[in-house]
Amino acid sequence: MSHQYLIVFAQAHNEFRLPELSSVSELHGFTYTLADGSDPQRPFMVIHLASEEHARLLARRCILIKAIYQFYGQGSTYKELHEANRANRALWESYIPKTSFKFIVTAYNHSIPQRRQREVIESFAYMDFLGKIDMNDPEILLGCFEEYPDKHGTTRVKHEGDGSFLQVYFGKLIEEGSARQLIGQFDVKKRVYYGNTSMESEISLLMTNQTLAAPGKLIYDPFMGTGSMAYPAAYFGAFVFGSDIDGRQMRGKGKPPGIIRAAKQYGVAARILDLCTFDVTQNPWRCGELFDAIVTDPPYGVRAGAKRLGRKRELSPERRAKYLEHRKSPRPDDQPYIPPTKPYELSALAADLVILARYLLKPGGRLVFFLPTVMDDYQEVDINSMMCSGMELIANSLQDFGSWGRRLVTIRKTSTVKYPPPSFSPEEAVTSEHVPAHKDFREKYFRGFRTDAPHDNYETAGSVPHYPIHD
Amino acid sequence: MVRLITHNLLACHARGCTSNNFPLRFSDAQIETRKADFNADFIRAFMPKLEWSALVDAAKQLGDTSLPLEAPDMLDEEFLKNLHRVLLEIHIEEGSMTCPNCNHRYPISNGIPNMLLAEDEIA
Repeated sequence: MSHQYLIVFAQAHNEFRLPELSSVSELHGFTYTLADGSDPQRPFMVIHLASEEHARLLARRCILIKAIYQFYGQGSTYKELHEANRANRALWESYIPKTSFKFIVTAYNHSIPQRRQREVIESFAYMDFLGKIDMNDPEILLGCFEEYPDKHGTTRVKHEGDGSFLQVYFGKLIEEGSARQLIGQFDVKKRVYYGNTSMESEISLLMTNQTLAAPGKLIYDPFMGTGSMAYPAAYFGAFVFGSDIDGRQMRGKGKPPGIIRAAKQYGVAARILDLCTFDVTQNPWRCGELFDAIVTDPPYGVRAGAKRLGRKRELSPERRAKYLEHRKSPRPDDQPYIPPTKPYELSALAADLVILARYLLKPGGRLVFFLPTVMDDYQEVDINSMMCSGMELIANSLQDFGSWGRRLVTIRKTSTVKYPPPSFSPEEAVTSEHVPAHKDFREKYFRGFRTDAPHDNYETAGSVPHYPIHD
Repeated sequence: MVRLITHNLLACHARGCTSNNFPLRFSDAQIETRKADFNADFIRAFMPKLEWSALVDAAKQLGDTSLPLEAPDMLDEEFLKNLHRVLLEIHIEEGSMTCPNCNHRYPISNGIPNMLLAEDEIA
């Protein structure tokens, strides 16, 4: 027997709502179905769940849920709503005799004048609740929500259009969403260690929910940077392993390393398993099938470009001979050797990441990462062309910044086959005729996504710093 | 940092170094011990991934001889707790790890091992 629940969403990241619901319900081992006509773009959504406990679990873990109500009815007019609510009498009649209650009437995209709020409350008089009204500590809270169309950008007098809502919803509060406060708790501004590429806390938390992070799971970030995703993942109980080609990002200044200091602030330092400096394309992993999830925000070249070991231009044979000789007999006063790096183009990186994840993930494990893209040029095939056998796309949500955006991609390893370690050589790359919109993202960004501007090559593209940066 | 669980997963990956490249040998190791949350399911699930003799040797090198030479078939609570301690609570903060095959030395500084390869060592 399933019951209907009304979810009140925070009005942000609409495309992330369903993936988050699916992930959190999968994590807890239950399923939900959308009620007919539910539109995830709208702030109120009715879903079917097997039990109230499931609703509570969603409210405690979904970052985008403001509150979840037992659903009593909805309508495009109050007449329809009251009919639906009367038909559901069985759901609320046990509260009639002596339950204390509070009644709220609010609207989305509108403010209802107090006089009409009273009228609305009085229109529910047929429910005949005999318990006392308690504004401070009621046993139950009844909520009535009017949803208005977006009037953004128009001028209007206060309360104009009052009553001409799209839909009105009514229900009893099950639980306020308690995961949303984590956004403040993990606020980057209050973190003791962060960098210029740290991910905002709300998005890090959404990414973490996509990984199904939970106690006893092992999660890996191969572009660890300042560890933005590690903190929420560890907070939810997972062990986190991080690596980065540039150890300075992970260390910062002082002791212990910056990431450990920030992890201590959140009380999760013991779950940051280890930090390692290496190039993920030249990685020291002894075997595969190690991780439950890989979560990462790969550098896409605007604030910081991805790098891999190697030289942009190979040394001439003479210089190479000198280099090898010097390596064999270093002088005592040498600075420590720092290997040269070359740029790692984003579309190659993304395709490599999928192959790497197929090797390193346990069967059923998830790869969760952000991929920036040019809005006008994006096509679904951009994502499909980097997939490989044994990996299945399960979510792809857009965060829109105007001319560009980034997509949170979630991929599941469906295969139980043991794959060999990837070599990351160009010969083994996923070859596709298709040129995805995220290819050479950096150059496109600095050209302002115009196609008529002269084409810079990768080495010189950094010299046009006047385009507003907000990655 | 550099816990023995990590040490057990890292092999030398320099070009051409494909055999006898594991386990890496510790030298000049400075050790700290720190408490970590015990999760019996995690340890049990991780057992099949471990190279047991490498773990026993590494622990011995650091002065911990509490592990049996052979991994037991019966995993009781006491064993799992001890394994948890060895895997997750011993941290190597400074020192280095050296490949037994090619002698590449991977330095550990401030708890973070530098596993980068030189340009003549990459594939």
